[in-house]
Parts: sequence; C-alpha cells; structure tokens
Amino acid sequence: MSIAWTNRMLLLVALGLAALYLFPLYWMYVTSLKTGSEIFATPPGMFPASPQWSNFVYVWETRNMGRFLWNSTIIASGTMALTAILGTGCAYVLARYRNGWIDLALFLVLMLQVLPASLMITPIFVGFSQIGLLNYPQLAVILAVTAKAMPFFVVLVRATFMSVPGELEEAALVDGNSRIGAFWFIVLPLARNGILVSAILIFMQAFGEFVYSKSMIQASELQPASVGLNTFMGPNTTEWGNIMAYATIYVTPILAAFVLLQRRIVSGLTSGALK
Amino acid sequence: MTAQIELKNVEKYYGAYHALKNIDLSIAKGQFVALVGPSGCGKSTLLRSLAGLETITSGAIHIAGERVNDLPPRKRDVAMVFQSYALYPHMNVMDNLTYSMRLKRKPRAEIEAAAKEVAETIGLSHLLDRFPRELSGGQRQRVAMGRAIIRNPKAFLFDEPLSNLDASLRVHMRKEVRALHNRLGATSVYVTHDQIEAMTMADHVVVMRDGIIEQQGAPLDLYAHPANQFVAGFIGSPAMNFVDARISESGEAARLNLPGEPLIPLNGSYPPGRSVIVGLRPEHLSVVGPDAGLALKVSMVESVGSASYISCSATPELSFVVEGTTRLRSGDSVHLAIDPDHVHVFDAKTRLAIGVVN
Ligand SMILES: Nc1ncnc2c1ncn2[C@@H]1O[C@H](COP(=O)(O)OP(=O)(O)OP(=O)(O)O)[C@@H](O)[C@H]1O
Ligand SMILES: [Mg+2]
Repeated sequence: MSIAWTNRMLLLVALGLAALYLFPLYWMYVTSLKTGSEIFATPPGMFPASPQWSNFVYVWETRNMGRFLWNSTIIASGTMALTAILGTGCAYVLARYRNGWIDLALFLVLMLQVLPASLMITPIFVGFSQIGLLNYPQLAVILAVTAKAMPFFVVLVRATFMSVPGELEEAALVDGNSRIGAFWFIVLPLARNGILVSAILIFMQAFGEFVYSKSMIQASELQPASVGLNTFMGPNTTEWGNIMAYATIYVTPILAAFVLLQRRIVSGLTSGALK
Repeated sequence: MTAQIELKNVEKYYGAYHALKNIDLSIAKGQFVALVGPSGCGKSTLLRSLAGLETITSGAIHIAGERVNDLPPRKRDVAMVFQSYALYPHMNVMDNLTYSMRLKRKPRAEIEAAAKEVAETIGLSHLLDRFPRELSGGQRQRVAMGRAIIRNPKAFLFDEPLSNLDASLRVHMRKEVRALHNRLGATSVYVTHDQIEAMTMADHVVVMRDGIIEQQGAPLDLYAHPANQFVAGFIGSPAMNFVDARISESGEAARLNLPGEPLIPLNGSYPPGRSVIVGLRPEHLSVVGPDAGLALKVSMVESVGSASYISCSATPELSFVVEGTTRLRSGDSVHLAIDPDHVHVFDAKTRLAIGVVN
C-alpha cells in the first residue's frame, strides 16, 4: 500500500469521524428550520422543505432570550475577568520558581481539574448559603465557575510564561527595572497572546455553564441561557423546532467567534511549544 | 589605584551545593578582567552575584566603594551582556538600546542623542527600526553591547558574549570589544571558557575551578608561572604535556617515567628524590639530532600551514609544535631537546608548583 493511499484512507476516516461528531450540530440547525409535522415525519428529512425563519423571532420574543443571553454574558465576563486577574499571577509564580512546594501546588491545581462540577456543587452550595452568598446568585456562580476554570487557565498560562526566557527579565532588572516592572513591561507583553487565548476559552466555557447556575440561581430573570433552555425543555415538550431555534441562537455566536479566532487560538496554545 | 570592584570572602550556596568558595578578588578601575574555567566552575554564578541576580550567602561585594550585598540589580549601576543577548523581542533596536534611559525618564532629546551616538559606535545606525528577530547573530550581539554602553555604567559584565558567533567573527569581535573597553575607559569583567579569549583580551586573568580561584594574575604570568597543574594545563594551547618523574639525587635533574628513564636537566635545585610531575609546553620542545634528547616515535602529525602539531606515542602522549610544515610522518623517530628554563615541576600529590630550592 503506498503512502499516498494510506493518507487518503486516513483522511476518509477523519472526515467520517468529523461528520459523526458534527451531526448533532447539523441536526440542531436543520430542526430549528422545520415545521412541527416535518420534525416527526418518518423517515426524517435531511433538509427542511420550507425553512421556518419565524421560529427564531418567535422564540426570541416569547422566551425573553435577550435577558437570558445578557445574564450568560455577565457570568461569562465576570468569570473570565476574575480568572485572568487571579490566575495570571499564580501561573507566573508556578512558572518561575522550581521546588518541591511548587510541584505540590501544581499537583493540587491539576487535582481540582479532575473533580466534576456535579460533585462539587453540594459542598459549594452549603458553604455559600452559610455565608449568605446565595443572596447574590450571579456573583456566587461567577465565584464557583472561576474556581472550576482556574486550573485549566493556570496550566495553559504557565506554559506560556515558561516560554518567555528568564534572561529577558534579568536583563530588565539589570537595565534598571524593578521586579514588578520587569513582569509588567517585559514578561506580560510577551505572554499576552497566550493569556488572551486562554481567557477567551474560559469565556466560552463559562458562557455554556449549566450545573452551578441551575443550582444556585432561582430567580428566572437572573438565569443564564443554558438554564433557560433547560426550563424550555419540559417532560412533555413537542416544540422541538422552537427549542432548536433557541439552541441555535445560543451557540451560533460562540461558534462564530471560535471559527474566526481559531487560527489565533491554535497558535496561542502552541506558541510555547514551537518557538 | 582604587578598586572599582572588590569581593571579600564571598561564599555562595545553592541549597547544599557550594558554588563559590571564599572568593577574594579586587578589580581596579579601567581593568579588563577575564574569568575562565571549565563548565560548571561558577563563572556565571560569580558574575550574576556581581550584577545582583543572585544573592551571596556570605562575604562582601563592593562596587565603586559602596557595599552592594543587599542592593537589587537596578541600584548597582552595572551593565550586563548575556550569552543569549536577551534582547527584548517586542521592541525594535532603538527601544532596546534606550530602555534603561527611558526607565530613568531622561529627556527625549538626550535619549535620542545618546542612541544615535551609540548606534554609530557599534555600527548599527541603519538598523534602528528593525526588531531583534530581523537581525543576524552578529548584529544582535552588537545591539546587546550597545544596550550596555549607552548606560555608561560603573562596570560592564559579560557572560560569554561571543560564544554564539562563528569563529572569524569571534576573533574580530574580540578586538572590537577590547578597543571599546579602552575607548570608554570602562571596567569590565568578562566570563569565557575559552582561554585564548581570556589571554588575548584581558589585563588580568582569573582561573576558576569548582568554585574556587585557582590562580589570578597577568596573562603571561599565568603562562610562565602556573601555580598548579590545573592552571598549567588550562592556560596555553596546545595544552602542556605532563610526565611523571622523580627528582634526581643531585636535585638538579628529573628522571622521567618513560621507557629508558631519561634524565632531563632542571634549572635550579629541587628536593632530591621527590615524586613530581614535569610539565613541558609543546612549544618549548625542539627537534635535535639523533644523539641527543628524548628519543620518541611520531604517532600523528596535524599541520595548519603556519605550524605543525606533532604527537608522539608515549604514555602519556607527548606533543610538540614546529613552525611551518614538517617532513616528519607518523612512524618516524624523533629526538626532542628540552630547554631547562621552561620546565615546570609540580608535586605529585598536591599538584602545586614546586619552587626552586636555592
Ligand atoms: N539556580 C541554581 N540552582 C542550583 N545549582 C545551580 C544553580 N545555578 C547554577 N548552579 C550550579 O552551580 C555551578 C556553577 O554554575 P555556573 O553557571 O556558575 O557555571 P559556569 O562556570 O558559568 O559554567 P558554564 O561555562 O557552563 O556556563 C554548577 O555546578 C551549577 O550546576
Ligand atoms: Mg556560564
């Protein structure tokens, strides 16, 4: 078997897997445009016969989507800002110092990443309710999601900082800068790409967060779109077209952002490795 | 002469590892001092301690009369040129050069004038807008030098600044760095593992090994009077030959531990019967007629045109140098004469040079 032939086979397998993986997404888009009877037709049609664009307008208005998306944005932005502010310093320290304590800290950070949200929610809920944080449910969710997203951010940004040579910082110190100045004006600009990309990934993750929001935010006018979608899907739902329209409105901006930024994201994540 | 840099009993530990051991060093204003030694001997550690990038465990460092032990790098007013150059990748050459001045918030006109002057000195006036990634290795090296010069510091610290350049550029830059030093009337400490660089550039050479200073002095003093076997082998190229020997009964000759136990004359008198190591520089052995000197067999001839380096099979191997080309071939026999003025004698146990007993 020639190499070209093997490559073609592998490409085919890759395309097949990608199609399988992306099919639900496709199905979401198609279903959002179908009429009620089309959705339940057997065999199901791969394309909508007459696209129902009105589904989107209807859902946007009746489900108060502007409100939900706004809440999602607040939670995602808050999480992103908090993670970036707290995590950058932490990642820098973990990147610059080498000893047993740092190794232990890194191990604990990775350990946190392993714990699932559905497990953590009960202790968090109890703790937050005792200190009264649940009276500010969006803030509570931001704090909880930040804790959940932090390890991921720290590990990525640490790798970025490690790719900035320590000698640059030392040169800045000898040139007359203070420790903080060297970090702020030399290291940070060079790590900017990696930090930005990691922050964007955190934003996207927080934008779709469900478990903590569902458990901690009771008032529907404070809930994010993920929880709104879940309420929409009652046990006896038949409005699949509208639900899919909701989902489409919810995920399309994130998908678009990802596609637009994917080059930068990939290069930001590998900049340290490739040099 | 006042000391511009003075180190007294400096000790440095990395955890349990003893990196600098009781370093005493005094550097006069305007002096060019080279620190040489094998890899890992603590040259960079010493330099970084001067810059304030490492804190010393004990002892004292004075720069221009001021005790700087507890001062951070920015308060020491020294400039450092790193082996990797450490140019700021997100700044162009102009900004790299003027970074220290901008930190001090000097007036704009003054900064620009200084940058212009320095760029001319290092010959980079036409490259001020380039970024470091757009420069060749040699140009980067110059920018790194320029960044140090512009500060007019109390001392220049160089950590193997030329080791990333190709051989011919390195030889050229050696002269340039030295000329620059003279022109600026600067005080420089230059780390290198290349003893030729140290010998050709410096007024004062410090030979280090395993965190201690083995010997320091003027380059030719180290060459002529190495204090111990390590310095003798480290300074000089090609390296000195060492042969085990025993001082004769008269004390004025040494019996070499070679086939036939040849006796070579010494200049002066040494403790009779002492086990020693005799050091013979390749350039001090000369070929003589068949009836005199040490009889040896040639094992290898390496000629570079201006000189030929010839190794003889003996244990240990002996090598010597002749000017120009040679007719000797591998397998030939050769007789070597030894000039008693240039025989170095070291104690077999302590490896220290043994002085003449008069
Ligand atoms: N941060 C550190 N922690 C522990 N040990 C260190 C550290 N830095 C240097 N050392 C050790 O100190 C010794 C001296 O190192 P140094 O960098 O001064 O050597 P050097 O003479 O500059 O060698 P080279 O010619 O290879 O640059 C080495 O054995 C090294 O392993
Ligand atoms: Mg070094």
